[in-house]
Parts: sequence; C-alpha cells; structure tokens
Amino acid sequence: MKTDPTFWLLARASGLTAYVLLTSSVVAGLTVKAKPLGRRIKAAAATDVHRFLALLGLGAVAAHGLVLTLDQTVKMPPVGLLVPGLSPYRPLAVGVGVVAAELMVLIYASFSLRRRIGARNWRRLHYLTFGVFAVATVHGLAAGTDRWAFGLYAGSVALVAGLTAWRILMKGGTSDVPHRNRPVAV
Amino acid sequence: MYRIEIDRSLCSGMASCVKIAPDTFDLDDDGIAIVAGDAGEGAIEAAECCPFAAITVFDQANGTRIV
Repeated sequence: MKTDPTFWLLARASGLTAYVLLTSSVVAGLTVKAKPLGRRIKAAAATDVHRFLALLGLGAVAAHGLVLTLDQTVKMPPVGLLVPGLSPYRPLAVGVGVVAAELMVLIYASFSLRRRIGARNWRRLHYLTFGVFAVATVHGLAAGTDRWAFGLYAGSVALVAGLTAWRILMKGGTSDVPHRNRPVAV
Repeated sequence: MYRIEIDRSLCSGMASCVKIAPDTFDLDDDGIAIVAGDAGEGAIEAAECCPFAAITVFDQANGTRIV
C-alpha cells in the first residue's frame, strides 16, 4: 500500500514555516535596537511584532512536531519530541532540532518571568536566541530534505548576521550599561 | 520642563534611554531605569525609543502627556 504523503508534506511545510517565522522574529528583535530604518519604526511596535512572530514560530514548531508523530515516513515517536536523539531518522540532526525548540520555549516563557529572574538575567538568557537560530539552521540543513531550501537558509543567515553586525557597529548592542552612582538632581 | 514617569513593571533594562539621554536616565541596582538627572530634550527621544514603552513624558507646565 502506498504511504499517504500528507503528513510528510505538512511536516516539511511546517518546519520551513517555523524557520521563516524564527528568522522574522530574530530580525524584528534586532530591529528594536539596531534601528536600520532610523526612527520610522517605533521601538515598542518592533517589540510587539518581535514577540508575536516568536509566538507564531512556536505554533509552527508545535505543528511541525505533531505532524511528524503522525507521519509514516520518519516514524517519530511522541517522546522523541521531548527527548533529543530518539528519532529513528537522522537522530542527531533531529535531536538538535528538539533542543532548539525547547530553548525557544524557555526564551519565550522567560519574558513573563523577567521580573522574577531579574532584568539582567533575562537579557543574558535572551542572547541564547542566537544559539537557537544557529542550531535551527543546522537542523534544517541536516534533517531537511528540500534541497531548494538551501537558499532560504543562506539568505536568513546572511540577514541575521548582517543586522547583528549593524547593531554591534551602531553600538546599540550591549545593554549592560554600568550603574553609575550619580547624585539625583534636585 | 518635563516630568518623567517610568513604569517599573514594563522596564526590562534594555538601557536605550541611558544611551540616548545619559544625563537624564540611569539604571538602578536591579537594572531598571530611573530618572537620575534633569529631563532635557533627549527625554522625548528616549521615551519614543523605549522597547517596552515604559517611559512617559509630561509637560511640567500644564501636565499634558507628550510621549
């Protein structure tokens, strides 16, 4: 009997969608402080877009995982969505994808916990996003089967790297401004 | 000339305001923005550039909200 390809197609489509949304969220996040378009984009609006895209990305990642468990091509066990390395198909490449997804959840959830963990720790944790983006790219290249998507990954990496470089050069990067004990003006 | 309010529940210590208006804003020991000097013209740009819209600027004279 021929295997129904519906879930395999959905798995690939949702994976690529998740990657595009992750890239878009990172780009919006970098725009908050790098300001490549000057003051035309309000920082608070860019932050809202950044968070919304991250949430959409998480939704796409969840869909990606769910349809993979329903698909008969790679036969992903449900527990493999939580524990890296349990996929019978390319365990390492899929496992790094699981790690990236878990870190995405952690970083997204940390926003609501930033009062509790402290603003400085929250920002430090947020830098992990660069790692998530890198690992997600490796996952897409190593576990993905769509050869044409190489251009998508290359373009995304170039965009994120370019904006990151811009932000560093514009000195909008580091947020750890040393606390100065200046007298309060009266 | 300006009165500044900072919503500490929104501020996440990104320090954009400190970079834009270092004479007006500073971060406290918790990494949260505080008003640490006179509110000059830079305060308005700082409020506009706050990633969390945590800064509100009022006209001191008539109390109207500027940003």
